[in-house]
Amino acid sequence: MSVAEPRRSNWRSMGGETRLGRSARTRSSGPRRRSPAGYLFVGGYVVLLALVGIYPVAYAFNLALTTIGGAFTGASNFVNTYKDFRFIPAFAHVAEFMAIWLTALVVIVIGLSLVAHSLSRRVSAAFRFLFYLPAAFAGSASVMLWLFMLQPGLSPWDFVLQAFGYTSLGDSLVPGDLPIVFALIAFWTGAGAWILVIHGALMNVPDDVLEAAALDGAGPLQTALRIKLPMIKKWIVYMLIVAFAGGTQLFAEPQLISQVSRGLAAGFGSYGSWSPNQLATSMAFQTGNFNYAAAIAIDLLAIALACAGILIFRTGLFKAD
Amino acid sequence: MRPIHVSGKASIDVSVNLRRASPRRLLAWTVATVAAVFFLLPIVWLLLEPTKPMFDTLGGTPPLEFGSFTVLQAWWYELFSSSTVYIPAGPILDWLKNSALYAGSGVVIAVALGLPAGYGLATFEFIGRRLVLFVTLMTMLIPSNALVLPLVLEANSVHLLGSPLAVILPYGLFPFGVYIAYLYFNTPRIHGLIASARIDGASEWQAFRRVALPLATPVIGLIALLDFVASWTNYFLPFLMYWPSSITGRYPVSVGIALQLIQPPPTNGTYLGNLDLALATPAPEEALLLLLSVAPVILVLVIAQRWIGSGRLRGVFGG
Repeated sequence: MSVAEPRRSNWRSMGGETRLGRSARTRSSGPRRRSPAGYLFVGGYVVLLALVGIYPVAYAFNLALTTIGGAFTGASNFVNTYKDFRFIPAFAHVAEFMAIWLTALVVIVIGLSLVAHSLSRRVSAAFRFLFYLPAAFAGSASVMLWLFMLQPGLSPWDFVLQAFGYTSLGDSLVPGDLPIVFALIAFWTGAGAWILVIHGALMNVPDDVLEAAALDGAGPLQTALRIKLPMIKKWIVYMLIVAFAGGTQLFAEPQLISQVSRGLAAGFGSYGSWSPNQLATSMAFQTGNFNYAAAIAIDLLAIALACAGILIFRTGLFKAD
Repeated sequence: MRPIHVSGKASIDVSVNLRRASPRRLLAWTVATVAAVFFLLPIVWLLLEPTKPMFDTLGGTPPLEFGSFTVLQAWWYELFSSSTVYIPAGPILDWLKNSALYAGSGVVIAVALGLPAGYGLATFEFIGRRLVLFVTLMTMLIPSNALVLPLVLEANSVHLLGSPLAVILPYGLFPFGVYIAYLYFNTPRIHGLIASARIDGASEWQAFRRVALPLATPVIGLIALLDFVASWTNYFLPFLMYWPSSITGRYPVSVGIALQLIQPPPTNGTYLGNLDLALATPAPEEALLLLLSVAPVILVLVIAQRWIGSGRLRGVFGG
């Protein structure tokens, strides 16, 4: 039993949860001490959480429900922002971006994780580190760097740009192609981290299962599709939900591109209006309507909270007992 | 229910066999190498660009050729000298210092508050414990960008827009760190050690300070690493806190590098046609600035490399 127990919990939970969650063992541990000392340990963090986590959300919610003068207006800020001619396009842009980005994540990240998993331990670790390195460029640095990458004449990918017949940066930033450009930048920066996660989940697929599959005559492709992927399904779902929630928040890429293209590519002004976050920012700092900005922020927050809720209540990856 | 060592041994044999299957191995190497080129080429380019003279960049030296160290040195002096042509002296160093101050203070707060919080949630029972855990999970699972606009609206209402505190406090809130600490302390081993310390007459503070804390170095390292990288590279929050009021001296470097983008003069018509990258600084100097702006993060990642590769951080990234 002492041998079977951890293996069974491994089966049920799959992936990193056994490392992070340790649910099976935790429950058998002794009860926590009932003591007000707990408040002292948790207190500082809870105060900060209230100040910069909960209060701002409550404040934004209140703003979203009131007028500039502070009078309650119900849902009218939500309705008015929805009616703004830029609202639907902004969400449509982000949806288009996400269709490309999430597909790339599923196909390429899982593909590269399987490849890394098949290489020897040290080689695999080296490759995974190289894939992860662009994470250092998260935020604005990756966009600045990719502006160079998309500039014909300057870019090391010049031969690719020439093959498309591009002669200036404007050719690379044609408005219709922006979802692809943003997906490319987001993928370059973020794929490595997801490869670490998916590879980590693959490492937790028990060896004897793979061994049994090999003995039954399964080839590498069959093993990957029929054994490995079903066993790491939870982590793939986790990746998709987190990437989806993050994707709705797109800001740096379209904002910087709108600036470099004088607003021709991603909406006018220093903020633009290509993505919902840009639109909210424009409403706050260009139009000066903080209530409208709050309404859009609450729209986005509702999506984020729904995603977080699904992760907590549906995937069982995060245990808090 | 075979003994575990048998399956372990067999699996080693299997993986050795697979590794010898050379066409498959060759394919794996090829795919991994192509991917590595995709991920690394932009970084290699960035290392080479500052070695090139200004008028060489558009259609001059091939993008992936090395220029000279003399030129690199010249760009370095140009970037930092008080008589710089393209950037008013000061800001670059100021931006780097600001980033270090904001991210550094954020990390200190995240560790100083997050570690005891995780410990408290794991080892004490008190009213509201589950609620705190739940809110922590929710906060760590929503994208950090989702809180930016609410934070900016809040800062605006209390006149903190443009203050360093407006970014330091949000950087100090790192619920994921609390969750990691909670999981780390919520094990029978730690519970047992603390119980023995209490029996030996240790106060609650002593049990934390003398028993739990010395064991938590990996957790401290992990929280610091993740919060530092996230804070240093953050753009949306500091952009909104400092940009609208144009307080350039308070910019972190993530916002500073973007300031160098200038809007090019309008062309005729609305089509993007012959738009080219327009920068306040020449491309090689901007590349050097970009390189400096990410150098601390790359340094931290290289130091943590063994750790990242070892899979000890499994399931931790991306969250």
